[in-house]
Amino acid sequence: MLFLRRSAGRVPRWVPCGQQRRTKMHYGPKLPKGPLPRTPWTGPVIILSIAFKDGNFSYSMKQMGRVKQASWLTKTKVIDGLPLRILSIMTDTANQLENQDERVLNAISHARFWVSSEEEIMEETYCPVLLEDLLHLCRSMATKHPLLAKRMVAQDYRVSATWERESILLQIRGVNGKLLNAMNPLEPVASKDEILATENDVLETLYPIAPTIDLQEVNKYETKNDTGFRTGYPYPHPHTIYFAHGDKYHRMRPEQLRAKMLMFAFGNALAKARVLYGDEPKVLEKPIVVQSVATNGQSFQFVVFQLNTTDLDPSHGVKNLAWIDADQLLYEDARNRPEIRKKIVTIPAGGHGYQPVTFKKFLAFYLHGVV
Amino acid sequence: MAVSSLIRSFGSLLLSSSHHVSQTSISPKPICLAWQFHAYREIGTSAVLSTSDPMWKCRIKYTTRPIGMKKTGGRDHTGRIRVHGIGGGHKQRYRMIDFRRMHLEEREEPKSFEEKVIQVRYDPCRSADIALVAGENRKRWIVATENMQTGDIIKTSNHIGRMAVLANEGDAYPVGALPVGTLVNNLESHPGKGAQYIRAAGTCGVLLRKVNGTAIIQLPSKRQMQVLETCMATVGRVSNIDHNKRIIGKAGRNRWLGKRPRSGLWHRKGGWAGRKIRPLPPMKSYVNLPTAATRG
Repeated sequence: MLFLRRSAGRVPRWVPCGQQRRTKMHYGPKLPKGPLPRTPWTGPVIILSIAFKDGNFSYSMKQMGRVKQASWLTKTKVIDGLPLRILSIMTDTANQLENQDERVLNAISHARFWVSSEEEIMEETYCPVLLEDLLHLCRSMATKHPLLAKRMVAQDYRVSATWERESILLQIRGVNGKLLNAMNPLEPVASKDEILATENDVLETLYPIAPTIDLQEVNKYETKNDTGFRTGYPYPHPHTIYFAHGDKYHRMRPEQLRAKMLMFAFGNALAKARVLYGDEPKVLEKPIVVQSVATNGQSFQFVVFQLNTTDLDPSHGVKNLAWIDADQLLYEDARNRPEIRKKIVTIPAGGHGYQPVTFKKFLAFYLHGVV
Repeated sequence: MAVSSLIRSFGSLLLSSSHHVSQTSISPKPICLAWQFHAYREIGTSAVLSTSDPMWKCRIKYTTRPIGMKKTGGRDHTGRIRVHGIGGGHKQRYRMIDFRRMHLEEREEPKSFEEKVIQVRYDPCRSADIALVAGENRKRWIVATENMQTGDIIKTSNHIGRMAVLANEGDAYPVGALPVGTLVNNLESHPGKGAQYIRAAGTCGVLLRKVNGTAIIQLPSKRQMQVLETCMATVGRVSNIDHNKRIIGKAGRNRWLGKRPRSGLWHRKGGWAGRKIRPLPPMKSYVNLPTAATRG
């Protein structure tokens, strides 16, 4: 007679080896790590979807017109420059720190020279440090404006939003930058008349290139709209997304970076709109505004995005709005060693060419919604 | 036992004949299967160098990304010297060139479509420059023509009309659609095979005449070639026209290009030296015209 001894719940089974394992020749039955995942079988629903994942714009092309592509995908009218409300916050002297320029210069020096003892500080080191320092300076305005304390910064959250554009199912997902959340939503930047005026605008296409070029094509079994936060999160409204873009392995051209900022501002706004107003496509009663700021440690990109409509399928009708302020230098140059040519110092050591307007814009973005 | 061994032997036969993997287990060593090569050939790029590690060219999907190559040093797959005088040189990367201008993936073939030139750049693997073109959802590398510039829009068509087209440089048409006397490059020998003729820098062929559903083209060597009129060709001259005027300057520059020095041994000059007067070779015909025997 044969007795089988079974250890409860742990039946050895063949673990499928991945490509990595196969090359290392790791074969054999292994115990599964936990109970088998039980997903309800809903039938094979394959939807052809084009995902706009982070890092998907890795192949750099100058002539592709990335912002144009992003504006078509999000049905957005792009305006150069910043909206009036941000400019008015910027120019108001009451909204400035004490010794603002000195403190910003200290922040730059901290990021570029004092953060480590190495001879040359790499971009991936100083870029997030500079962003954190500047955000820290902005936070010190909380003494003037107590509402600033009711904000939260989230990192490594995952946003996913799905929409249809000219009957192409598009999806944006993935980890993006730091998200500053607020308790209250931002007021719409453009007035109703300005929103209605976008009806007559015609979106530019990239002919003969399709606007979905370079997007990753995937088979999706379910479409998902997720803000990345659970319901009941005390800071539910996305305010500003900050990108510290100094990673040399995922470095983007400024044009691509702006497209990415626009796409992720749109993704966050759309996910929020789906939560607030449901999946039905319609023109929103109260548009959702999400800002985006990106830096490579020296120059800054500013985007204000206003989601006016979730009816994105047809190209006519009300469009979304985006204000883009591109390539704003915070300082011209910062270097450890002077550049000497023919025994004459051409570029001195240390930072120079500080431009105070850029930080004013940065601060105005932070104060937007409170002032 | 005997039955199982029989099954196994049949299985091994199956493995060699069909695409499906039979009961015999695949060895974990990377092996380039024949069907993968076949799929690779369908992309329509030129044949690439064989190396000791064949995995780099086992690529089924087309990509515009440069692929790292390994130097062969003139050795073939058995490791013996196949071509003398090759070795070393600057590291090169291979960019997959699509020599089939009318090539479309998973779509019905339309009459014509347009593409935009995104980039024109140097290619280490050939004497001509290459251009990255984008149209619809696809990007691909093609051989650039003489005046091709970033932002140009080039047209590809497979329609042969009653009238000859007024073709711009860089456009691709069947040779039957072009007017007589047009300069062409990137010529196919068989329709849909992919361009194999007139691809070197600065070269061009001349469309001499069109007869009876075929076209006769003068190759850069002045030899004439007869192809079917549905063979695709690009209008114009291949880029990098000053390729033959460059000055190598020193022996080391040839080494950068991967050419090793020739033997220094003195050889008496033979019949290869000096001027030769000989008739042009006969016209090369890729057209299978029905012969008298089959007709009768």
